[in-house]
Amino acid sequence: MLDIFPPDRTQYPAKKADGTLDIDLTSGKYLKLWQGPNHPGITGNMSVELTVCGDEVVEGKTHVGYLHRGFEKLMERRTFIQVFPIVCRVCVPEPDFNEYCYAACVEELAGIEVPEMAKWIRAMILEMGRINSYMMYLGGQAGALGQGVIGQWTTYVRDLMLDRFEELTGARIYHMFILPGGVRDTLPDGFAGRMEETLCEVEKTLKDVYDVMFCNAVFKKRTVGMGVIDPSWLEPYGVTGPNARAAGVAKDVRKDSPYLIYDQLDFEPVTGQNSDIYTRADVRRRDVWVSVDLIRQILAKMPKSGAVMAPLPNVLHWQIPRGETYVRGECSRGEYGYYLVTDGSGYPRRINVRGPSYTHAMALLERMIVGCNISDVAALMVSLHTYPPEIER
Amino acid sequence: MSFKDVLSPFTAWKHLFHDPVSIRNPIGRAAAPRYRGFHQNDIEKCIGCGTCETICQNGAIDMVPVEGIQTKQGDSGLRPRIDYGRCCWCALCVDVCMTKSLNMSNIYTWVESDGDAFRFIPGVDKKPWDDAAHGYRRPDDHQLTGPTRLREHMPEMEPEERIGSFAEIVHGYNVEAAKLEADRCVSCGLCVATCPTHMAIPQYIKAIRDGDYDLGVALLYETNPFSSICGRVCTRKCESTCAARHEGDAIAIRWLKRHIMDQVSDEQIKKVVGQPAAPTGRKVAIVGAGPAGLTAAFDLAKKGHQVVVYEALDKPGGMTRFGIPEYRLPYDVIDRDVDVIRSVGVDIRCNVRIGQDITLERLKSDFDAVLIALGLQDGRGTRIPGSDQPMVRKAVDLLRRVTAGEDIGTPRQAVVIGGGNVAMDIARTLARLQKKQYGEVKVILTALEDLPHFLADADEIKESGEEGIIILDSRGPQQVVIENGQVTGLKTWKVKAIFDEQGRFAPTYDETDEQFHPGTMVVEAIGQMADTSLLGDALTEQLAWQRGRLQVDAGGRTSEAWLWSAGDMVRGPDVVSAVADGHRVAASIHAAITQGVQQ
Amino acid sequence: MTEGVHGIERLRGKTSLKEILEVATHFEESARDFYKGLIPKVSKRIRYLVEELAAEEQSHYDMFAALAQRTDIAAQVKAEIERTAADSKFSDCIHLPDLGDNPDDQAVLQYAMGREHAAMSHYGELAQTTPAGPIRELFVFLASEETKHKLELEKLYYETVHRGGGV
Repeated sequence: MLDIFPPDRTQYPAKKADGTLDIDLTSGKYLKLWQGPNHPGITGNMSVELTVCGDEVVEGKTHVGYLHRGFEKLMERRTFIQVFPIVCRVCVPEPDFNEYCYAACVEELAGIEVPEMAKWIRAMILEMGRINSYMMYLGGQAGALGQGVIGQWTTYVRDLMLDRFEELTGARIYHMFILPGGVRDTLPDGFAGRMEETLCEVEKTLKDVYDVMFCNAVFKKRTVGMGVIDPSWLEPYGVTGPNARAAGVAKDVRKDSPYLIYDQLDFEPVTGQNSDIYTRADVRRRDVWVSVDLIRQILAKMPKSGAVMAPLPNVLHWQIPRGETYVRGECSRGEYGYYLVTDGSGYPRRINVRGPSYTHAMALLERMIVGCNISDVAALMVSLHTYPPEIER
Repeated sequence: MSFKDVLSPFTAWKHLFHDPVSIRNPIGRAAAPRYRGFHQNDIEKCIGCGTCETICQNGAIDMVPVEGIQTKQGDSGLRPRIDYGRCCWCALCVDVCMTKSLNMSNIYTWVESDGDAFRFIPGVDKKPWDDAAHGYRRPDDHQLTGPTRLREHMPEMEPEERIGSFAEIVHGYNVEAAKLEADRCVSCGLCVATCPTHMAIPQYIKAIRDGDYDLGVALLYETNPFSSICGRVCTRKCESTCAARHEGDAIAIRWLKRHIMDQVSDEQIKKVVGQPAAPTGRKVAIVGAGPAGLTAAFDLAKKGHQVVVYEALDKPGGMTRFGIPEYRLPYDVIDRDVDVIRSVGVDIRCNVRIGQDITLERLKSDFDAVLIALGLQDGRGTRIPGSDQPMVRKAVDLLRRVTAGEDIGTPRQAVVIGGGNVAMDIARTLARLQKKQYGEVKVILTALEDLPHFLADADEIKESGEEGIIILDSRGPQQVVIENGQVTGLKTWKVKAIFDEQGRFAPTYDETDEQFHPGTMVVEAIGQMADTSLLGDALTEQLAWQRGRLQVDAGGRTSEAWLWSAGDMVRGPDVVSAVADGHRVAASIHAAITQGVQQ
Repeated sequence: MTEGVHGIERLRGKTSLKEILEVATHFEESARDFYKGLIPKVSKRIRYLVEELAAEEQSHYDMFAALAQRTDIAAQVKAEIERTAADSKFSDCIHLPDLGDNPDDQAVLQYAMGREHAAMSHYGELAQTTPAGPIRELFVFLASEETKHKLELEKLYYETVHRGGGV
C-alpha cells in the first residue's frame, strides 16, 4: 500500500502499466475533496487535495502557495541590517530561529565575533521559543482529536512565556532582538526569578497535559500505531527533528554539531521507538522538559556581565565580502537553516531559508496520508508539526 | 491501555475552579519597560538628518516639513512622520538616530476609527505617550553607525619638527584610513546644504568607500575646481553641521576631499575634467586670479567662451597663494589646481594691473563681459595711538612679502593683534622665521574675542600654542608703546562683555586691567578690505553700492550691465564661498552673453 | 571740531529744562548738517555710513525737539534715565582723526565715535556738577543718549573693521 506512489511524481494521476489511470475518477468510486486551506484541522494556510474511496484516503496531494510572501526575494533588495527585521516573519510561531540563523550567517561572512554573553542569551531565547512552539503544537494535536481544553492550557503558559519575551526583547511575537553582532540588550533586573516562576508553571501544565492528553484512552486509541513514519524514509525524505527522533534516531543539531553554547550544556536528545502519532507527541512533550532544564542551566551558567553586541561597521553602507555559508540549528520541528550568498556588495546576493516543514508537509505527508481514514487526516498532519510559513518564504 | 487511561482525563475538571487568566480589557495594559511601542521624538534635539528614514526597511518613515521649524545650518527643518500601517516596530530608526532624539514609548494600545490618524509626526502631533517614562531607548554600547565615534587620526608633523620649516604639516590620509573615515558617514546630506558651493559630499565620500577615485574627482569638479586647495584650507562649514558630531567627531570632510585629489594623477584629473565645448566666439575678461575669478573662468571656458584672466601679482591664486602660508597650503598644490583650470583653455596673464597697465574702459570695449574679483587684499589697522609707526605692520602685507620671498625684517619679539586665521597665519609664519633666524619663538597674539569666540580654526589655535605662540584672549589693543622712536610693545585692556542682547559683538573694556606685551614689531591682523581704486571716480560714482560693497544681483551683476563682481570683495573672505560665487557669476555671465541681452 | 562738542559749555548756567533741550537740539542739528556736508565728499562706496550718521543725528534732533515741546519733561526724563547705558570704553583707544577731504569708512566711524564720546563725557560732567534735581536728571539722560549712540557705533566699527579676517 505504501508503495502505490513512488517518489517520481511526474505523472499525475499515476497510470497503470496498460496506460489506464490508476485512479479513474469517472468510475464513481472516488470522491475528490479539499482539506484546507481554511479548515480547522489544517496547520496554517495550506491544503491537501484528497481522493477518497469511501472513508479511506487513496491519494493526497499537498497544495502550498497560499502564504507566499516572497521573503527571500525581499531580502535581496534590502541592506544587511534591513533584512534583520523581516526574517522573523518567515515563521510566526517560532521566529527566533530565523533571527539567529540570519545573524550567524552574516557574522560568519563578515568575520564578526559575537560576545560570549550574547551567545548565552541567544541560546536561552531559542529554548524559550522552542517551548512556545511545542505548546502550540500540543494544543493543536489535542484539538485535532477534539480535545479543546489542552489548547487553552498550553496557550496560557505560552502567554506567560510571551510575557518573559516582552520584558527581555521588547516585543511578544516578533522579537527582533537577535541581530547581527549579538543581541540588543542584557537581561532586565530580576529576570531569572520571573523566568523560574514561568518555568514552574510550564512544568505544572505539562503534568496536567500528560494526565489529560497522554493518559487518555481515546487519544491513545486514535494515535498509537497511527501515521507511522518508516525509519527507511527518514533519509530519502530528509526527515529531522522530533519526527526522526520518534523513529528512534537520535538526531539533534544541538548535539550533533553544537552551536552557540550548547556544548557547555548537559542534555540528551529525546527519542522514541514507535514512530507513530502518539510517540511523536510524547517526544515533543518530553522535549519541553529538556528545554525547561536547559533554560535553568543557561541562567545558572551564563556570565553575569559583559558586552552583548560586537562592534559593527556602519550598517548604512555595510558591504560583506564575497562568500557563502549555511548555518543551521535545531528548532522545534527539526533542522532549520539559512543559506546566505554574498557578492561583496551591500546586499545579500541570495538567501535561502530551509525549514523542516518543507519536506515534512509537502512530500512526507503525501506519502503518509494514503490509506489513512479521512477522520484521522487532521491528526496526522498536525503530528508532523509543520508550519506553512516556513515552506513559503 | 489501562483503567487509569479512562479516569485520568477527568482530572481536567480541577481547572473548573481556576480563575480566568485572560485580561478582560487589554486597552491600556501596561507593557514591559522595554516594550517597543509608539515613537517619541524630541523635536528640539532632532536635526532632521533622515537617517531613520534611510534605514527603515518598510518605508514607514517620511521626512516632512513642519510648521514652525525652520531649515537652518545643521538642521534640515524636516521631521520624521511615521506611518504605523507600515511600521514593524523593529526600532532600527531608534538605533541609528544620530541625536538620540528618536525613541519608542512602551505604549502600544490605541483605538481609533480613523485609519489616517495612525500616520503622524511624533513630537509634533501631541500624543499621550509623548512623556512616557518607559520604552525602548538605545542601549549605550548599541551602535549601528560604525564602531568608533572618533575621527580617523590624521598623520602630521610634530610641533618641534614643523616649526623648523615651511613644509606642509598635514600628510593626508592613506587609502585605508580614508576608507575608515568615509565609513563613518551616514550620507544624510546636511553638509551639502551648508556647503556654499553645495559639493556632492556624501557621494564623493561613497566614491572613497568604493575606491572609485575617478568618480570622486568628477564629483569634486562638478562644483569645485579648487578641490586640492579646499581639501587643505577650506573653512569647512560642512563639518560644523555634520550629523556625526552629535555622536562624536564630525566626519573629516575636508581631508577626504584632499585624499581624492591626492590619489589621482594630474593627467587623469585633466582627463576626467574633459575638454571645453566648441568655441562660442564670446570673450570674457576677468580681473583677479583668485578662487572666485578662476572658478568663473573655469566654468566659462568649459562652455566654450574665450576667457582672459588678468592678475596684478606675478602668480595666480590670489589670497590662497599670497595670504595662506606654505605650511598650510604648499604652492605646488595651488599650481596643480590652476593647471587644470588652464587646461580647459583659460588664459591667465600675470603682472598686469588693471587701471594702470590696461584700463577698465579698454576691457569693457574689448570683451563681451567683465568680471572683477579683486579679493580683500588691504589690511585694516587698529588706528590706536602709536599705530602709525613703521614697525606696526599689516598681516596681509607681510604674508604677501613672505610668499614673494622678500625679507620682512623678522623681529626678535613680535605682538600680533587679531583672532582670525590671518592672525594665526602671520603669528606662525613669524614663529618659523624667528626659529630660523634666532633659534627661538617669541610671538604674543592678542585678540578682542575670548577663546570660544575666536574666528580662527580650533586647529590653528591649538597648533599655534604647540609652536610656542602665546595666545592672550579678551585683550583690547590700547596703545602701541614707543620709546626713543622704536616700538617696544603693545598695551592692552581687558575685554569684559562680548555680545549684546542682539548677539552683536559689543566689546567693553576694563581699563583697570592693563597689560604690556613687549615686542619690536606689532602686526595688525584684524580685518581686510578691498582696494577698488581701479574703478576710477566716475565709475565708482556711477555704480550702486551696498554698505561698502559693490551692489550685485543674485548672479553677481553690478548696476552696470557689462560688469560683474564676485568673491571676497562682495561676499567677505572665504575660499569656498568665493568658489560658489564664481559659479553663480559664470552662470549669469553665460546667460547674458549667449542670449544677447547685453546692451 | 564742531560746535556740538565745543559749545557744550553754553549749557552751563541754563536753568530751564526747555532751554537746555533747545541747546542740545541745536547741537544735534549742527552735527547732522556736518555729516550732510560730508556726504558728497566721501567715496560713494562708504556714503551709506555718512548718510546713516546724518539720519541718526536727525532722529536725535527730532527726539529732543519733541521732548522740549512736552509739558511733563521732568517725568519723561526720569522714566528714561532708568535705562541709562554704561560706557564700554571700546573706542577710547582710537585716535580722533582729521577727516580731511576724502576720509575712509574707518576714519568716519572713528570721528563719529569720538564725537559721541566727547558729548557723552561733557553731559556726564555737567550732570556731576549740577545739584540733584530735574536739571541734573536731564543731563544724565542726555549723556545716556550719547552713550547709546556710541555703543551702536562701536558695534558697527567692530563689524566693519575687525571682522574681515578669514581664509
